[in-house]
Amino acid sequence: MKKIKGISVSEGVAIGKAAIIHREVLHVDRKHIKAENASEELAKFKKDIKIVIAELEHLIQNYAFSLDQKEILSTQKMILADPEFVNRVNYLISEENCSRENAISIYFTEVADIFRNMDNQFFSQRLTDYEDVAYRLLSHILKKGNNRLGCLNDKSILIMDNVTPSFVTRVFEKKIKGIITVKGSRNCHSSIIARSMNLPMLVNASGLLNEVENDQLIIIDGNNGEVIIDPSPEVLLDYENQYKQEQNQKEKLLKLIDVQAKTTDDKIIKLMSNIEIPEEVERVVKYNSDGIGLFRTEFMFIDREELPTEEEQYKIYKQIAEKMLPEPVTIRTIDVGGDKLSRILNLSHEDNPNLGCRGIRISFENIPIFKQQIKAALRANVVGNIKLMFPMISAVSEIYQAKEIIEECKLELKDKAVEFNSDLPIGAMIEIPSAVVTSDVIAAECDFLSIGTNDLVQYILAVDRDNEAVASYYQSCHPSVLRSIQLTAENAHKRDIKVAVCGEMASEPRFVQLLLGLGVDELSVSPGRMLKIKNEILNSSLHDSQLLAEKCLQQKTSAEVMKLLN
Amino acid sequence: MIRKRIVIVNKLGMHARPATLVVKTATKYRSEFTILKDDMEINGKSIMGVMTLAAEFGSELELVADGVDEEYLIKEMEELFASKFGEE
Repeated sequence: MKKIKGISVSEGVAIGKAAIIHREVLHVDRKHIKAENASEELAKFKKDIKIVIAELEHLIQNYAFSLDQKEILSTQKMILADPEFVNRVNYLISEENCSRENAISIYFTEVADIFRNMDNQFFSQRLTDYEDVAYRLLSHILKKGNNRLGCLNDKSILIMDNVTPSFVTRVFEKKIKGIITVKGSRNCHSSIIARSMNLPMLVNASGLLNEVENDQLIIIDGNNGEVIIDPSPEVLLDYENQYKQEQNQKEKLLKLIDVQAKTTDDKIIKLMSNIEIPEEVERVVKYNSDGIGLFRTEFMFIDREELPTEEEQYKIYKQIAEKMLPEPVTIRTIDVGGDKLSRILNLSHEDNPNLGCRGIRISFENIPIFKQQIKAALRANVVGNIKLMFPMISAVSEIYQAKEIIEECKLELKDKAVEFNSDLPIGAMIEIPSAVVTSDVIAAECDFLSIGTNDLVQYILAVDRDNEAVASYYQSCHPSVLRSIQLTAENAHKRDIKVAVCGEMASEPRFVQLLLGLGVDELSVSPGRMLKIKNEILNSSLHDSQLLAEKCLQQKTSAEVMKLLN
Repeated sequence: MIRKRIVIVNKLGMHARPATLVVKTATKYRSEFTILKDDMEINGKSIMGVMTLAAEFGSELELVADGVDEEYLIKEMEELFASKFGEE
């Protein structure tokens, strides 16, 4: 028995057989063919290209949801149809009598040299597209690494060096037990998708490939971030019991998909979803969500080499809004620190990015980008039920300013005779203490409020979430946080608007009653947590929740509040 | 044969997406299409060729179209470059 540490991406236990999928190193012989076979070899090459293009087309149609991925695959298709490529390979086959795999390999080696010699890194990094195509084509010809999905079944735990988001979706359909990757991070797109599917996944399990063999029995412990290879009988039994319990709970929860989220005393709670990337919408629809309470739009801006256009954003918003109809989709304008956007926006370094130019401040500093986002939302709102939400609001003056810019956008669209729906509800994220204190005036200018508890806790307690040295100061149920939520809810209700919580607090079952009792109308949680939270709502009474909240509000410390909640 | 000099005006240069657009546009026409930059000369219907130009902001290019529909090809190309590939 051996244990290897990793980073857990989604919780839960998985027990299965190791299915290692390598990106095999393809060995191409420097083979030559007989001259009289050249025309036959040319025909085979033509056919290979046709098949791989069809394969790419299939991937684009069925597995690439984001425009980014579609573009990458389309570029690959274009490379295969490139006349220079086809002519060069044809020449190598017919004139020098290279085998087609030899010719292809020669061509791509030449290409790689050109890319490596480029000065501009921005261009040279596109080499990966060419390497991917070469790999696809050669593995098809050599019949290796080709049947990658064929070896997977409902007992498999997939092990890979790294995994693409579209591959996660494909293996999920094979009903595999879990995924382990040697690389990857908690917040990469593949991890986000696995999490929204509740598929156990562990990343960053370095050294794993040296320790495990195909078909070996392994366990993913997603709760502790561990892989156990070849477990002892006692350990295995332990995990089998844990697995059974989790499965029973999962099955029970799945029965709640069609049940409306309401308390035992019939108060309907809107239970919505937070999404980070468009691919998650499929899950959200499957789980019968009451809408998207937080669509983070950062994915379009970070890890990209270019800014998204209004058109690209419009298409994405429209696609999501259509899928969610009649439920609402709340688009949050970009909320990244300048540190993440600095490459494309040429921003200067900040010593204290959390208190710097982030959230709505970035948008105000870059009006053209802000306007693109607003216009895309206004246009997509023609088909869908869209709301717009602004992050990091510290004062009502920022809402005034945002509204002015929205009006300008409407005029500009009108001038260009572009169709849009001007009835776009707007809301403020309440996450800065000054916004809590002045939530009465902010509520007067908004159609809804949404409390971002992660940042609220960070700012009201002056504690950096990612700094382990002060981790113990980060207390979600600190009395100041509870009072902030209550005050915000009270001020929202005075103006007859709804208040949601979209921070992590809403995704934790133990806080559900407390939040309801404090006056929160809507909860927006990550897709993988929806049913758990729904279960909690169904078992709570609003009346008891209010009593609980009242009691909690009287406590002096976080520890006392926690005692009441446990 | 038509020759036309143009300058790259979009900030990020002719990276993957614009390169794809150039090739897609060129492929619609029957004329041959060549792009010249410094001492390089590439087939404008080849994605590989266009990418290897590594044409950055401010680069000067010469577009050469030769064939029955050369005027239309050059006209659409000019519009495409002037539109900054729909990026800004």
